[in-house]
Amino acid sequence: MRTGVFIVQGWEAGPEGINLHSVESYAANLPSVETVRNLGVRPKLDPDTLSDEIKKGALDRIVIAGDSPGFFKPVFTKAMALAGGDPDEVRLASFRQHGGSGMGTPRAESVVACAVLGVPFPLAARPGTTATRPGTLIIGAGVAGIQAALEIADAGKQVYLVERQATIGGHMAMFDKTFPTLDCAACILTPKMVAVGQHEMIELMTYCEVEDISGSPGNYKVRVRKKARHVDIESCVACNACTESCPRKAPSEFDNGIALRKSIFIPFPQAVPNAYVLDEASCLYFETNGEKCGVCAKKCPKQCVDLAQKDEIVEREVGNIIMAIGYDVYDATKIERYGYGVLPNVLTALEFERMTNASGPTGGKIVTKTRRQNKRTKEDEWVLDPDGPPPKSVAIIHCVGSRDAQHNAYCSRVCCMYSLKFAHLVKEKLPDATCYEFYIDMRAFGKGYEEFAERIVAEGTFVVRGRTARITQVDGQMVIKGEDIVSDRMIDSPVDMAILAVGLVPAKGSERIAQMLGVGRDADGWFSELDYNSDPTDTERGGVFVAGACQAPKDIPDTVAQASAVAAGVLKSVNTGRGLDSRAELSLSDIEARARSLART
Amino acid sequence: MAIRVNPKLIDELEVYGAEDVQNCYHCGNCSAVCPFSENPYIFPRRPMRNLQMGLEDKLKGSLEPWLCYYCGECSEECPRGAEPGETMMSLRRWLTAKYDFSGISRLFYRSGKIELLAVIGAALLTALGFVLWAVLRGGSIYSYDGPNAFLPAESIHIFDWVLAGVLLVLLLTNCTRMWWFTMGRDKTLNASVGLYLKKLYALPLHFITQKRYAKCEKKRPWAVHLVLMLSYLIMLVLIMFFLAGMSASTIDWRLHVFGYIATVGLLGTTIFALRGRIKKSEPLYAHSHETDWIFLILLIVVAFTGILQHILHRAGLDAAANLVYIIHLMGVVPMLALEVPFSKWSHLAYRPLGMYFSLVRADAVRRVPEEAAQPVIVTQRVVG
Repeated sequence: MRTGVFIVQGWEAGPEGINLHSVESYAANLPSVETVRNLGVRPKLDPDTLSDEIKKGALDRIVIAGDSPGFFKPVFTKAMALAGGDPDEVRLASFRQHGGSGMGTPRAESVVACAVLGVPFPLAARPGTTATRPGTLIIGAGVAGIQAALEIADAGKQVYLVERQATIGGHMAMFDKTFPTLDCAACILTPKMVAVGQHEMIELMTYCEVEDISGSPGNYKVRVRKKARHVDIESCVACNACTESCPRKAPSEFDNGIALRKSIFIPFPQAVPNAYVLDEASCLYFETNGEKCGVCAKKCPKQCVDLAQKDEIVEREVGNIIMAIGYDVYDATKIERYGYGVLPNVLTALEFERMTNASGPTGGKIVTKTRRQNKRTKEDEWVLDPDGPPPKSVAIIHCVGSRDAQHNAYCSRVCCMYSLKFAHLVKEKLPDATCYEFYIDMRAFGKGYEEFAERIVAEGTFVVRGRTARITQVDGQMVIKGEDIVSDRMIDSPVDMAILAVGLVPAKGSERIAQMLGVGRDADGWFSELDYNSDPTDTERGGVFVAGACQAPKDIPDTVAQASAVAAGVLKSVNTGRGLDSRAELSLSDIEARARSLART
Repeated sequence: MAIRVNPKLIDELEVYGAEDVQNCYHCGNCSAVCPFSENPYIFPRRPMRNLQMGLEDKLKGSLEPWLCYYCGECSEECPRGAEPGETMMSLRRWLTAKYDFSGISRLFYRSGKIELLAVIGAALLTALGFVLWAVLRGGSIYSYDGPNAFLPAESIHIFDWVLAGVLLVLLLTNCTRMWWFTMGRDKTLNASVGLYLKKLYALPLHFITQKRYAKCEKKRPWAVHLVLMLSYLIMLVLIMFFLAGMSASTIDWRLHVFGYIATVGLLGTTIFALRGRIKKSEPLYAHSHETDWIFLILLIVVAFTGILQHILHRAGLDAAANLVYIIHLMGVVPMLALEVPFSKWSHLAYRPLGMYFSLVRADAVRRVPEEAAQPVIVTQRVVG
């Protein structure tokens, strides 16, 4: 076969970490390749000139190579047909689909080799199998980790579930309602959490962090740091005596800092394990090196507070690892024009989520902050008082930190829907309040989502097309300036509360986990899956899987679906005792040799 | 009325400098940050939309581009890098070309080379004309002023007034066309002469103070532009009315103090702008069209040679002063004759006019009563 290789770039920067000159010369040395041409960045291609080129070189196979070559397939197919060739012989070599930019030049070259030889890449680059241990480590116990753990444990296999926080549940436990069904999030999640806590096949490790992972696919050795919790989980009965006597306060992580918690506390009443935790950073006892306080240990009726407890390292041997570390939200202080952190009643989505949650600091009341004098410092400060005045008008601003070349270029996928949910909650709790949604494009993509969006409009929320640019304060009144694109006018809306629909970003620590496991991350920092379309839960490393929002922003149904899918992959290898080896370790010559032998048959 | 769409409009505007309009996804961020975007003149998003849709006629009749001062905040905060500020600038260039009846403006904006050639040609013709004229009438190159002067002030004075007259006619013609596109042909407008007179104050107000420019969050571009404009205005008055006094041997401080102030203003602001355009220090300097460079360089040459001939004359080097005078005229004539009616400098008329018209227009928009939708009646023959 006489093959022509055409390299095209979709973006100025080109595929990251791939040397295109090297790919060019490699392709030119492949046996059947006649011509190799680099067409540059987003070329404007003409089928007639291309067909002349095909005729001149008497080419009967075309390979389009690049980060997204599919954009250029139609013009090449047309050119091939014009030249009298077989349009089916236009083949794609997509670097992005098979390993992304993280895998470097040899991977790109092997993708080109497979396309030139006419062999599907996943077939040629199929790693061998290896003996796999039965245990499974799951990093992160949000809804993804919980779902995967239950699926695997219910099949009778051992699961080690590691969670950084003192309770499992992740972000979903903070939510009040889920969209679009407006089910209570806790009613769905807490039974699952309890099931995890009681399951005999799940070893739950909360307040723990993965320290180090060694070994090879199918046989990983994991070192887990059990941070000193200072409370014995087994004997704690959650009587609250320690919290009542604790003199120190710190912002609550679970309430996103809108309320305070004590230094010894339980994150929320339905926490699993239902036991308290002592935060060393804010504790008076640890601040004074044990000279002062220690009152919690004295007050505890069951003597389960151990102030002398130290961090502990435990080791587990597992065959498979599931990454389910979730996400963080975008730091809204980076966008100064919205006044987050300066104006008291500008909240992020998670803060509002806690405020409107019945178990939150205001008991589910939506209130604006009140100005009050701090008795100790004699300074005025803004306080969230459950009896404070409710807002008369609320604005919800979409796409904060998302779809923006200056922040994150990607769409965070969940914000449109949770913003609509907020509008419903505002209208439900404060029927007289005016509610605005300022959006760019309404992305209601799932089952029942579009209907949900229509219902919110029917409820009387003003859904305004046009992202606002600025929140200012004029004589103590917040004013939002924006363009109402559909009715073609400028608006200045006075509002009492603004909610920023912040986008999702990769969780803190995902870089460290990626390094530890040898898994790639894409340009935005999300974990790379093995194949975007056909292997969305596997990774380049054998025995390492990915589930939930740490792969890409996802809503709850998608996260749960992926978590169950991941369990299927894990159970397959646990049941047969053999799992796939790492594809990352296949060398260019391995893949090329296999592709040649496949091409011959 | 049918709306004609020009699908090539967006490509056409690319030549005028708007390269990234397609990136816009209409979030309305630019309109919201703009201090001038107020009902009913909403921009830059709306003109960008019209551009994407190829609504040439609508854009031709729009006043919005003249209401923008290009502080560049919209471009800085644009989430898509669509450069709304530069799009407005390009629309001003395109409108200048549309207003000009002769087509010369269009030629200049579409090709910087043609403009450059025209400038050089005009400069050479100027030099040739003045030298020939001076030699034929027996002027001495060694004499700057007095009866035997190489270029006597009285004659130059007459030449100035003739040139000013010609330019005024050309510019007024283009202004009339601007009025027709933006106001005259719009049948929904109900603008009485009284309304035009009532709002007439806006014209000199915006021309002299440029107070709208001061509304931009950044004040420096406004200050620079105001100093440049006022310096030029002072120079113009001095040259049109006091040329003889300016080139006389004796220094009349009552006159010359203005000349010196204006010279300092001109040199300072033009060199600041040149530095900015080279370093791309501010958003409005980030994208320089070929016509911007030509205009700026002409400004600097004229200001520099203007003061140089004065210094040389004071130093007694009359021959050198006369030579520099010729070079000065080689800059002045193309700058006035080409830039004022056909290119960048024409904004001295279009911008205040745009603001004036926008005030009139806002009051004159006649509310057309919405007609009740009529059912479309299709007659059908009864069969049988």
